[in-house]
Amino acid sequence: MTEQPEMIPTGDNRMLDEVFSDRKITWLEKTLGTDNYRIVKGLFKTPASIIGFILILIFVLIAVFAPAIMPPVDNDPFKMPRDGYSGEPRGPGAEWTRKVPDMPFWYEPLTGKTEMTHVLGTTQGQYDILYGIVWGTRTAFNTGLLVVAVTVIIGVVLGSIAGYYGGWVDNVIMRITDIFMTLPYIMMALIFSAVLTPVLGRSLWPPLIAMTTFGWMGYARVIRSDILSIKERDFVLAAKVSGVKKNRILFKHVLPNAIFPTLVLASLGIGEVVLGFASLSFLGIGTEVGYADWGQILSFARNWITNLDRYWYIVVFPGVTLTLFVMGWNLVGDALRDVLDPRMRGKI
Amino acid sequence: MTNYIIRRLLMVPLLLVGVTLIIFGMLQLLGPVERSALYVKDFPKNDKQVQGIITRYGLDKPFLTQYGIWLVGVKDPVTGERDGGILFGDFGYSRTASQDVIDIVKNRFPNTVDLALWTVYPMLSVGIWLGVKAAVNQNKFIDQAARVYSIIGTSFPTFVFGLLLLMLLYAGPQYFLPGKMSDWVSQLIFSGEFKQYTHLLSIDALLNLRFDVFWDALRHMIMPILTLSYINWATYVRVTRSSMLETLRMDYVTTARAKGLSENTVINQHARPNAMLPIVTMAGSSIVGLLGGVVLTETVFNYPGIGKAAADAAGQLDVVTVLGLAIFSGAILIFANLIVDVVYAFIDPRVRLA
Amino acid sequence: MSNHEETLIRVEDLKVHFPIYRGVIRRQVGSVKAVDGVSFQVKKGETLGLVGESGCGKTTTGRAIVQLYKPTAGHVYFRDIDLVSLKEEPMRLMRKEIQMIFQDPYASLNPRMTVRDIIAEPLLAFGMATGKELDTRVKELMRLVRLDPDFIYRFPHEFSGGQRQRIGIARALALNPAFIVCDEPISALDVSIQAQIINLFEDLQKELNLTYLFIAHDLSMVRHISDRVAVMYLGIIVELADRNEIYNNPLHPYTQALLSAIPVPDPEHYRRRSRIVLEGDVPSPANPPSGCRFRTRCPKADEECEKGRPEFREILPGHFVECFKAEVPSPLKEVTFEENSILK
Repeated sequence: MTEQPEMIPTGDNRMLDEVFSDRKITWLEKTLGTDNYRIVKGLFKTPASIIGFILILIFVLIAVFAPAIMPPVDNDPFKMPRDGYSGEPRGPGAEWTRKVPDMPFWYEPLTGKTEMTHVLGTTQGQYDILYGIVWGTRTAFNTGLLVVAVTVIIGVVLGSIAGYYGGWVDNVIMRITDIFMTLPYIMMALIFSAVLTPVLGRSLWPPLIAMTTFGWMGYARVIRSDILSIKERDFVLAAKVSGVKKNRILFKHVLPNAIFPTLVLASLGIGEVVLGFASLSFLGIGTEVGYADWGQILSFARNWITNLDRYWYIVVFPGVTLTLFVMGWNLVGDALRDVLDPRMRGKI
Repeated sequence: MTNYIIRRLLMVPLLLVGVTLIIFGMLQLLGPVERSALYVKDFPKNDKQVQGIITRYGLDKPFLTQYGIWLVGVKDPVTGERDGGILFGDFGYSRTASQDVIDIVKNRFPNTVDLALWTVYPMLSVGIWLGVKAAVNQNKFIDQAARVYSIIGTSFPTFVFGLLLLMLLYAGPQYFLPGKMSDWVSQLIFSGEFKQYTHLLSIDALLNLRFDVFWDALRHMIMPILTLSYINWATYVRVTRSSMLETLRMDYVTTARAKGLSENTVINQHARPNAMLPIVTMAGSSIVGLLGGVVLTETVFNYPGIGKAAADAAGQLDVVTVLGLAIFSGAILIFANLIVDVVYAFIDPRVRLA
Repeated sequence: MSNHEETLIRVEDLKVHFPIYRGVIRRQVGSVKAVDGVSFQVKKGETLGLVGESGCGKTTTGRAIVQLYKPTAGHVYFRDIDLVSLKEEPMRLMRKEIQMIFQDPYASLNPRMTVRDIIAEPLLAFGMATGKELDTRVKELMRLVRLDPDFIYRFPHEFSGGQRQRIGIARALALNPAFIVCDEPISALDVSIQAQIINLFEDLQKELNLTYLFIAHDLSMVRHISDRVAVMYLGIIVELADRNEIYNNPLHPYTQALLSAIPVPDPEHYRRRSRIVLEGDVPSPANPPSGCRFRTRCPKADEECEKGRPEFREILPGHFVECFKAEVPSPLKEVTFEENSILK
C-alpha cells in the first residue's frame, strides 16, 4: 500500500474526476472512521508500544486463567491461603504443608518437584506470595478498569457540559474542578478512605470510592479544552447551518473529534489507579489483611525494614509485577499519545 | 499583569472555602457521636456526656450551621471564652498522637519542609540536564538510554523504589538511615545545647556550626530525596526532551547556527531558555507537591513529617487528625500554588495578557 | 440583466459588535465593530457580490445573516420574516431555505464522516428521506455538482480541494434552499480550479433559480458572477451598484483605489491608467475614525469629512454611495476597467 501524499491546501491541477486513492477501505476503517483507524494502526508501529501490548496481554491472560494457575483454597478466591500462622516469612521453595491447593498444571513440568511448595515464598503470617500475585492481577484489573471507567464518565460529562454550553455553567464547573485539583491526590484518597471505612466497613469500597471522587478532574479539563477548540471549527458551524440540532452536534461532531486525547489519558490512568490502589493498601487503608492485592503484600514489608535483604522476596516479586503492569499501560498510553498528536508529548 | 495577580489572589478565598467545605463534608459522613470526639480529650464515657457534647457544639444542627461552628468554634455561655474553631487554629485533638492536631503540625511540618528544601535541586537538575542531553543527541545512545529510563522510572512505584533502597543501602550496609535523626542528635537537642532557630534540622545544624549534626541530618534524608527524585527525573527527562526537540526545530535556532555561533551557545543561550517554559510550570507543581506531604515516601522511611502523621492517623482510623491535617495541607497548597502562579506570570509574558 | 421580482433578503442596519473585556472584573471597555450598520437587499435569482479587503467585516456579515453569529442590532428579513427575532427552533426550520458554503474546503467537512454522511446530514436533520431514498438523493446531488457518485463512501481527505468544495456545495443544495451565502468559496483553490467552480455556481443558479450572496476579495471573479456589487470597508458598505456601473463608474474613492489595483495583463493599459495608492494602514475596527471612516486614507478627504458619517445616498439610479465627496463624473472617465479576457 502506498503512502498517502500530504494534502496541502494550495489546490491542485488534477482532472476533476480523479480521486487520489484506489485503496481498499476495510471494514475496520469504516467503523472506526479514518482518523481513528490511523491511530490504531500507529499504535502497533513502535517496539515500545508492542512491548506494552504484550505486557498487558500477559497480565490479561494471568487474570483470566487465575483459577488454573493457582487454584483457590477458600470459598473466596481473593483470600490468600495461609500455610499456618507463623510470623516469620519463608523464602522461595519453602514447603507448603497446610491448606495446600491442588497442584496447578504447570507445577510439575516447570519445577520438577512432586510436592507443592511456595514457589515465591511467603510473607509473615504465611501467605503465599505467588498466589497473591496471580489473583492480585484480577484485583488490579477490577479496580483499575472500574475506577477509570467511572472517573472518565464523570469527567467527560462535566467537561462536555462546561465546554459546550459555556457561560456560567462553565464557570461553576471549572471552579469546582479547580478546588478539587488543589488537593493532593494521595492524601485525599487516603483521608476519604479512612473516613469511609468506619461507615462502609473494611472492604474494597472505601478506597475505590475515594479514588473515584478525586480522580475525574484531569479528564474534565482535557475534554473541555478540546471541545472549546473543536466548537469553532467550520464543519461544526456547517452542521449548525444544515439545521442539525444542538445536542446532536455535540454527540455526532464535537465529541467524537474531541474524545481521543481523553482516551489517551484514560489508558495512562489505569496504571495510575492501580498504583494508587497499591499505595493505599501499602499504607494500610483499603483491603483487609490477606486480600490478594499487590499493595497488600508489599505492606508486609514494612515490618521487616531492618532485615529487608533477607526477606527480599516480599518486596521484589510483587514490586516487579506492579512495575511491569504499570509500565505496560504507560507504554501503550505513550504510543497513543505519539500517534495522536506529537505536540501532545510532554503536555499531558 | 497586576490584573492577573489580583484575580489570582481573589481566587484564594474561594479555594479555601471550597476545600474546607469538601473536607467538612467528609466529616459529616460520620454520625454526631463520632464527631463529638473532635472536641474532647478523653473519649466520653457515657451517653449523657456524649449528648452534652453534641448539644454544646451543635453537632445535630443543619449542615451550614455546623460548618460555621466548625470554623469559628462556640462561645462558652458561662465564661465567654471561645472554644474550638478552625480559623483560630483549633484543629481538634488527636487521640492517636495524644496531642492537639495543631501541635502535630508544629512538630512535623518543619521536617517536611526540611526534606522539601533539599529535594528541590536534585529533583529538577538531573532530569532537566538529562532531557537536554537526550534531545541534543537525538537517537544516539544517551537518548535511547534516557527514553528507556523515562519509561521505567514513571512506572516504578515510589514505595517499591523506597523499599529497594532500604534493602540495598540500609538493611545490609547501613550507609544511610531511615527516620529523621540519630539518637545522639535528639539527646543533644533535648539537652538545650542545640538552638533551634528555624526548627529545620539541617539549617539549624549549620547555624549552630555543628557539621556533624548536619551530616547526620543529610544521612537520614538522602534516601527519601532519592526516592522523591527518581520519578521526577523520569518525568522531566521526557518533557524536557520533547520540549527541547521542538525548540531545536525552530527557525531561530537554525538562524543562530547559520550566524556561526558555537553549538554550545546555540543550545544554551537560544534553545534551552525557550524550551524551559513548559517545564517551569511543571517544576512549580512538583515543588508545591513536595509541601503537600509526601505520604508514601515519608511512611516508607519512617520520616516524621506531616505525610507520615496523616498515614499513621489514617491507619488507625483517627478521622479527626486526618481531616485536620488535610485542611492544613490544603491551605498550604493553595498558598504555594498562588506563589508559583505569580512567579510564573513574571516569567512568561503571555500569561500576563490572559 | 435578468428580471428579478421579489426581494428575498432585506438587511436593515445590521450591526455585529464583539465586546472587549479588560480589567480585574472583566468589564466591557469597548467593542470591535466588525459590522456597523449595513443595509442592502437581494432580489430573487440575483447574485449580490460583497467585496472588501481582509478584516472589513464581509465574512462576519455573511455569518450574521445566516445567524451563526447573533447580530448585536439590526434586522435580517427573509421574505418579511425577521431572522434576528427568531428563537432557536424556528430559526432552525428556516435553514431549509437559507444555506451557506464555507471558504476552507478542508475544515468545513468533518474528517470522520463519509461523503454520503456529510451530504445526507441536512436531509436527516429534517427527516426528509431515509435509507435507499437517501442514498439516491445523495447521488443525485453529487451528479449535480459533477462528482462521480461512485465515490459516495470515500472520506474527505481522499479528495482534492476542488472536489471537497463540490461536496460542500452539494451539502448546501440538499435542502433545496432559496438563498445561499457563499463565503469566499474559491479563495482556497488553485486558479484553474476556481474558474471551473465559478462556472458550476453559475450553472446551478440558472438550473435551480438560486439567489447568492457572494463574498469574495477577488474583484475580477466577483465581476464575472455578480449582478450587483457591494463594497465594504471597516464594517460598512461604502458603495453599492450594478456590476457594470461599479466597474466602469466607481464613485467612492475607496472603490476607485481598489479597481485601479486590479492586475491587467495588458502593458498598454498599464501605461495609460493612473494607479491610486492609499496611504496609511487600515484603522482598528475597535476604534474607527470619527466622521467618514475612510477619511484617514482617502486622497480626497478634507475637513468636511470629519463632521459625521455621510449618508448612504442613491447618487444615480440604483447606485448608492456613502461619501461626501462623491460626484457624478463628467463623460471623461478617470479609471477604466476592461474585461479580463481569460474569463468566459
